[in-house]
Amino acid sequence: MNGERQVLVEKEAAPVATPKLGWEEISAELAGFFASIKLAMFLFIVLAMTATIGTVIQQGERPDVYIKEYGEEAYRWFLRLGFTDVYHTWWFTSLLALLCINSLTCFYKRFPAIWRSMMQDKVNVALPFITSMKHNAEIRVAGTKERVAEGMVHMLAEKGYRVLVKNDPQEVTLYATKGIMGRVGAHMAHLSATVIVLGGLIGSYWGFQEFGVCLEGQTYHIPKGNFDLRIDKFWIDYHDNGAVKSYNSTLTVIDHDRPMTTKTITVNDPLVYKGIWFYQSSYGDAWDRVEVARINIKEKETDRVLKTVDLEWQKEVTVDHLGLKLALTDFVADFSFNSSEKKVYSKSVEHANPAVRLAIQERKTLRATPWIFYHYPDLFDIQGSRYRFELVGYQPMKFTGLQINKDPGVNIVWVGSTMIVVGITLSSFIYHRRLWAKVIPHDAGATVHLGGNSHKSQIDFQKEFRKLTERIKTINT
Amino acid sequence: MLRSLFLFDMTFWLYLAALGLYVGYVLARRPGLQFALAGLPTAGPEGESGWATQIGQVATIVTIFGWVVNTLALLTRAYERLQLSGTFAPWSNQFEAMAYVSWAIILGYVLLEFRYRIKAIGAFVVGIGFIAMGAASLLPYRYQTAEPLVPALNSYWIYIHVSVTLTSYAAFAMAGGLGIMYLLKERAEQRGNRSGVLAAFPDLETIDELGYKAIMVGFPLLAFGIILGAMWANYAWGGYWSWDPKETWSLIVWLIYGAYVHARMNRGWEGRRAAIYAIFGFLMVIFCFWGVNFLLSGLHAYA
Repeated sequence: MNGERQVLVEKEAAPVATPKLGWEEISAELAGFFASIKLAMFLFIVLAMTATIGTVIQQGERPDVYIKEYGEEAYRWFLRLGFTDVYHTWWFTSLLALLCINSLTCFYKRFPAIWRSMMQDKVNVALPFITSMKHNAEIRVAGTKERVAEGMVHMLAEKGYRVLVKNDPQEVTLYATKGIMGRVGAHMAHLSATVIVLGGLIGSYWGFQEFGVCLEGQTYHIPKGNFDLRIDKFWIDYHDNGAVKSYNSTLTVIDHDRPMTTKTITVNDPLVYKGIWFYQSSYGDAWDRVEVARINIKEKETDRVLKTVDLEWQKEVTVDHLGLKLALTDFVADFSFNSSEKKVYSKSVEHANPAVRLAIQERKTLRATPWIFYHYPDLFDIQGSRYRFELVGYQPMKFTGLQINKDPGVNIVWVGSTMIVVGITLSSFIYHRRLWAKVIPHDAGATVHLGGNSHKSQIDFQKEFRKLTERIKTINT
Repeated sequence: MLRSLFLFDMTFWLYLAALGLYVGYVLARRPGLQFALAGLPTAGPEGESGWATQIGQVATIVTIFGWVVNTLALLTRAYERLQLSGTFAPWSNQFEAMAYVSWAIILGYVLLEFRYRIKAIGAFVVGIGFIAMGAASLLPYRYQTAEPLVPALNSYWIYIHVSVTLTSYAAFAMAGGLGIMYLLKERAEQRGNRSGVLAAFPDLETIDELGYKAIMVGFPLLAFGIILGAMWANYAWGGYWSWDPKETWSLIVWLIYGAYVHARMNRGWEGRRAAIYAIFGFLMVIFCFWGVNFLLSGLHAYA
């Protein structure tokens, strides 16, 4: 590390002057604090610890869920500390912001030196600097200093080093470096944190996430995109063993009354139109309509089933020999009656008390629109009718649950992601190593003083250093 | 189905045999004959004596054979999946994932052995590979079969996201194993026990450096795996990040190793501390991989 101080961080090597307390000092002190590795480690660990909270405590539940599980007192604390939505609390966000400041300051403070070192075209070190390095060697070689240096330059260049040479009357000084991309990669990763957070922020300010329950055949307006979406079809595919293979919805985008595009979406394959994404998210039984309902027509007198008819949704069926015309007009999954508005509605989405409403015409004289209950077949009697109607079964219409998203920040997040992966990979697999050498001539040839360091991969570098030393020995033979 | 299960079984026994052989190798090498600095290949084949060389060679051969059978098992499973449901990723449930992790660990070990010529590490790293395989075979039968994928998993992303993430786990497992080895060796040295069984291990600096290397392989892979997961989530769940427990835990693991990677830049964070930290990190990986599936609910609870 001492070599690094000399070359990479020249400013730091200068001794600290008399301690004055001006703006310069304070800002340097602050930059030092915010750029420090210690702060980075602290933030990594604190983020890791606080992130666990949200995996143990359910996030974004209703108050009674927490009270039931943890008690009222604990829930009050949860609210105070934001434990019911940890990842959006001011303190968690601040930690993320600090991490960005940390990595940016680090970049600002350290990258210029790396840049200078990449652009460096001069070499200037003293002999004690080389001999005091962790890896150093003294090699005696035959030949003039120029020829030895030339041989070394050749050899190092062959190994992929960038070599600088300075030829003085008494000595030749060499500087060789390789793998600086490892350091550049680390800083690329540092910048990526801010890019990703930025993308996330853009997404949360200018994006949206909505959920829509959609029925087959219906067209829905998407106000945020100013176009319409028609649900053509929803169905489920199964494997041979009965397990679900895929959920599918065929959607058509209608923009200004013109069908623009049709796509069958599945769980892993959304539809994208004008930056808005439509995901197959869920499905379920509709609570206000059915595909088909099976009705038994019974004779009141004998309680005998005269006929069973399957009524399709809102389609009239004629049963000639009984003189009946039937139509299924309404359905509710969980029957309820609003007495003030005199309206029937479904009080939940559960099929707790299903009922259908029939429009019945009997022998041209009798008309009735009774509600028929699945669970209570004898509840109502149609006066004057010869028949009683029973709802024996129905096939609910399925709705498809679509998630509708827009996230203008997502591409920025991907840019940041690429930076972080490329950056970390570079800095993990390429390590920066530097060699300094002085070739000092004497009567029987030259002495090479070689020193080097690497900021990582000590074993590998040790091996490489040894090999280089061996090769220098044979340089002029 | 039975064919692949038979091969997985065979892998288990072969790894057990390999582990036994590596332990035997370490024991056979006990006599204090180490003049050479361990870890330096130029110093000859570790200065071994008596049966050690032969046992070591057999151990390597059995390990490689076990790995080949492991590969075949995964390929067979992939074929069975293809027949059954049209997707082939042989890491689609907990059992297959474990088998894949042990495959990756053993591959990593074999590469390490060929590169650094240190066999004694096998007693630990092959040990962890064996434990992974063993834990897989302890799973109930219904977890071991190749059920078709649920719709959310039925995607090309499973091939790359899962394999990359599991490979990073394997690297962290190796680092954990090396960490344990470091602590044992260090304790033996502190007791002045330089000629005992543990003397066969490479020197502390080498173990430390290899552990660091393993983490430096795992760290970018995990980052890549998490990001692939985010991309997948963006296609499947409608959002690249939803703080689902598995997601969050993989991020936690990544942050933990992130702290380690930065710590290594400072002096005093090699050796003992690093070894303990690597073991701690590995425990967190185990929790992320197993604990989250069985203890916490969330979108990843498929197994």
